[in-house]
Amino acid sequence: MDQAIAFSLLISTWMLFQIRRIGDSVGILAFQSTILAFSAGAMWYKTGISHLLIAAVLTLLVKALLIPFILQYTIKKIDIKREVERFTSKYISLLLALALSAAGFYLASRLELPGKEHGQPYLAVSIILIFLGTLIMIDHKKAIMQGVGLITIENGLFLIAQSLSYGMPLIVELGIFFDMLVTVIVIGILSFRIHSTFESLNTEKMQNLKG
Amino acid sequence: MGWIWTLLGTPLVTGLLAWRIKNQNVCEKFQLAGAFVTLLAGLAAACQVLTGAPIKGGNGFFYVDALGAFNISLIVLVGFTAALYSIGYMRHEINEQVITEQQCRLYYLWFHLFLFTMLAVSVVDNLGFLWVGIELTTLVSALLVAFYKKGTALEAAWKYLIMGSVGIAFALLGIIFLYLAGSHLLGEDPRALHWSVLSQVAEHLNPKWILVAFLFVLVGFGTKAGFAPMHFWLPDAHSQAPSPVSAVLSGVLLNTALYGIFRVFAIANTTLGGKAGQFLIFFGLLSMAITVPFILVQHDLKRMLAYSSVEHIGIITLGVGIGGTLGLYGAFLHMFNHSMAKSLLFFLAGNINQKYHSKRMDRISGIVQAMPVTGSMFLVATFAIAGAPPFNVFISEFTIMRAGFQAGHLWAAVLFLLLVVLIFAGMVYYVVKMAFGQAPEKLQKKEIDRWSTAALLIPLAAVVVCGLYVPPFLSQTVHQVSQVLQGVHR
Repeated sequence: MDQAIAFSLLISTWMLFQIRRIGDSVGILAFQSTILAFSAGAMWYKTGISHLLIAAVLTLLVKALLIPFILQYTIKKIDIKREVERFTSKYISLLLALALSAAGFYLASRLELPGKEHGQPYLAVSIILIFLGTLIMIDHKKAIMQGVGLITIENGLFLIAQSLSYGMPLIVELGIFFDMLVTVIVIGILSFRIHSTFESLNTEKMQNLKG
Repeated sequence: MGWIWTLLGTPLVTGLLAWRIKNQNVCEKFQLAGAFVTLLAGLAAACQVLTGAPIKGGNGFFYVDALGAFNISLIVLVGFTAALYSIGYMRHEINEQVITEQQCRLYYLWFHLFLFTMLAVSVVDNLGFLWVGIELTTLVSALLVAFYKKGTALEAAWKYLIMGSVGIAFALLGIIFLYLAGSHLLGEDPRALHWSVLSQVAEHLNPKWILVAFLFVLVGFGTKAGFAPMHFWLPDAHSQAPSPVSAVLSGVLLNTALYGIFRVFAIANTTLGGKAGQFLIFFGLLSMAITVPFILVQHDLKRMLAYSSVEHIGIITLGVGIGGTLGLYGAFLHMFNHSMAKSLLFFLAGNINQKYHSKRMDRISGIVQAMPVTGSMFLVATFAIAGAPPFNVFISEFTIMRAGFQAGHLWAAVLFLLLVVLIFAGMVYYVVKMAFGQAPEKLQKKEIDRWSTAALLIPLAAVVVCGLYVPPFLSQTVHQVSQVLQGVHR
C-alpha cells in the first residue's frame, strides 16, 4: 500500500516534466496533492493519530482543490500562449528528473534519517519531490511554473515531516496551509501584473536589474 | 498580555480602516494615529518585559523576553517614523500623478499589515508559527515592492518572492529537524517546538539533528536576512520599493529574519557547546566582503544603500558569532544603530529621488544647495552609517572590533576593520560628490514636504545622541538582550 502511494507520487511528479501546456500542470498538481492526502490518510489508518486525518482532509481541500483552482483561474484570465517554455528540451529535462530521482534514492539510503516505521517508505520520495520541485523552478521560464515548482517543494516538505515525525503539531500545520494558500494568491496576482506589463510570462524578459 | 493584544490588533484594524476611508486627509491622519498607538503599545510591552518579567500568555502561545521586546521596539519605532514619512512621500506621488488616491489607500493597508506580520514574528513562542510569520512578511512586502507597477518593480518583487519562498522552505526543513530533536525528548507535544522550552533542555538534545537543523535555518532565514551569497534579491527589492518601505525593509525586516536565526542559534549554541558561532562569523565576514566591490562601482543611490544593509547585517552576525558579553553587546547595539541610521538614509534617499526624479548618482549634485535640511542630514547620516566618529555606528563597530581581538578572533577582527575602511571610502566618495557641487538650475530649491522633513528628526536624534553617549536605558536593554543569547534565564 505505502509503496503504491509512494510510487504514484513519483509518477505524478515525473509527469510534470512531460507537459506541453501550462494548464496541464494544474491537473497533475491536483493529482499529486490528492495522493499526498491519501498518504496522510493511510498513515492515520495505521497509527490512529487523529491530526493526520485532519491534515489529510486539509490537503485535499487546500492543495488538491483550492490551489489548483486559483492557478487555473489565473491562467485562464491571463489567456496567454499556453505552451511551456524550458531552458532544456522535454527529453533532457525528463532525463535530469530521473537522474535526480536516482540521486534522491541513494541519498535517502545513506542519510540514516530516523524515519518512523510507517513513514520510512516515503522518505526517499519526499527528498525527490524537493529536488524535482527545485529543478522545475530552475528549468521553466514561465512565472506560473515557478509557482508549480514551489508547491512541489512544499509537498515534499509536508511528506518529510510526516515520515520523520508523523507530521508537525496540528496548529502549525494549519499555519503552513494558510501560508501556502496566500503564497499562491500572491503568485497569481504578480503573474497577472507581470503579464499585463511585459505581455508575457517569460521571466527571461525580467533581467533589467543588475549590479 | 493586554499590551500584546493591542500591539497585534492595532495595525490590523488601522490598515483595514485606512483602506476604507475615502477622504485622503482623514485617511492619512488616521493611519498615523494607528501607527502611534502601535508605537505606544510596543514600547509599553517592551518596558514591562525589561523592567519586570517576560510576558507569557495565550495558552503558552505568546512569549516575549528581552530579545523579543527589543525587536518589537525597533519595529514600532521605525514603523511609526515610516508612517509619518509616508504622508509627505505619498502626497508628492499623488500630486505628480504617479499613483492615484485609491492606490495610496491600498498602500496604507499593506503597510500596516506588513508591520503586523513582523510584530507577530516577535511575540510567538512556537518556532512553527515564527516560520509562518516570516513567510507572511515576504508575501505582504512583495506586494509593497511591486507597488509601482513598473517592469523593474515587478522583476524585483518576483525575484524576492521566489528566492524568499525557496529560502524559507529550507528553514522549514530545519524546523522539522528541530521538532524531531525536541519530540524525541519531550514526546509528541506542540511544546517541542517552543523555543522557550527547547532552550531550557538544549543540553540534552541530539547534537547531530540540531546541527542539521541550525544549518538549514541559517541558510533559510539567512536568505531573508540578506546573507551573501543568498542576497541577490535584496538590492533589487530595496531599490524598487517606495522609499518608506525600503526604510522598513532595511531597518527592521532584516532584523526580524535575524531574530529567527538568533532564536535557533541560542538553542544550537548550547547543544553544540559554543561551536555554532563559527558559522555566524563565516557568513558575517562573507556578507561584508561581497558588498565591497558592489558599493565601490555603484551607480544607483538606493542600491548602494541596500548593499550597505547587507554589510551591516554581516557586522551584526559577526558580532553575535564572536559572542561573549562584549561581542553580543556590540552586536545588538549595532542592530539598533543600523536601524536608525539606515531608515534615516532611505527617507533622505526618497526626498532626493523625488526632487531629482532619478536615483542615478551621476545625475544628482548640489543636494545641500537645493534642499538644505535634507542635504546636511544626508551628509551626517552617511558619515554615521560608514562608521565615522562621533556617530552611533562608530561606537558599536568599535565594540565589535574590540570583542574580536579580546576573544582571540584576530584574523576576523583585522578583516572586519579592513572591509569597513574600504566601504567607508567608497560611500563617502559618492555621497560627497552628490551633496556638493552645482544644483541643476531649473530645480526648485525647496524641501519636499514638511511631513517628510519632520519624520527625519526621530532617527537623526538617535544617530547623533547615541554617538555622544549611550543612554542608560538603551545600554541596559542591550545588555539584557545579550543575556538572552548567553542563556541566562530569568
